[in-house]
Amino acid sequence: MAKYVIGATGALLGALAGVWLMLAPFALAYQGSGANWADPTYVDFWTGLPLLVVSAAGLILYVSGLVEELRHRGIMRRPYTAPAGQPQAPGPPQGNASASENNMEQILLPLVTAMLKDMQERDRERDGARGGTVADVRQTPNAGEEGSVRR
Amino acid sequence: MAPQARIGLIVTAIGFFAGIWLFLAPFIVEYQKVGQDWVDATKNDLWTGGALIAISALTLILFSAFALRDAARAAEQEGAAELEES
Repeated sequence: MAKYVIGATGALLGALAGVWLMLAPFALAYQGSGANWADPTYVDFWTGLPLLVVSAAGLILYVSGLVEELRHRGIMRRPYTAPAGQPQAPGPPQGNASASENNMEQILLPLVTAMLKDMQERDRERDGARGGTVADVRQTPNAGEEGSVRR
Repeated sequence: MAPQARIGLIVTAIGFFAGIWLFLAPFIVEYQKVGQDWVDATKNDLWTGGALIAISALTLILFSAFALRDAARAAEQEGAAELEES
């Protein structure tokens, strides 16, 4: 990993040297503004420009190598990839608010259905239990066991 | 070694040769006469070229050293894995 950082630093310094070469004739005033370019100006400018381009390309390459190395080691994740084992729900693209709302409904619908079913089952059980106690209460006087302890 | 790194090394080598060119350009293009005082353009080219040579050489040496270290580590790990398997 360190090798890519060193390479990128070298390429960055090379690019800065290229920029300096392009500006130096004017900054050091050995090229008068408005006058025809002298030989040193041609040499510096046409060395600086390719050096800048090549060094910028090198910088990009070294940084991409560094990023690849970081991804290989698991330090960085690839962008726009879903985690393994989590298939995306089919539906419209999540671009606007209504699309994301629909998606949310689709996700919540099975949960709400299961909850409703559960509540209905509980209600039925409760009704069944109530029916049982009422029957017991009604059954007691018919049995003719008043005053006795029922086991 | 990743292909990006290979091309990056070539780019660094180009920077090295650009430095050599800058170092020699005043005398090749003859805007600096031998034996006379150096003009501003010559001084600038010699300093910039020298710096570029130094930066590129240092980058090449350090990059190669770290690449060799990584390769050696990878070889050691592979050897250890093979020993464990056998």
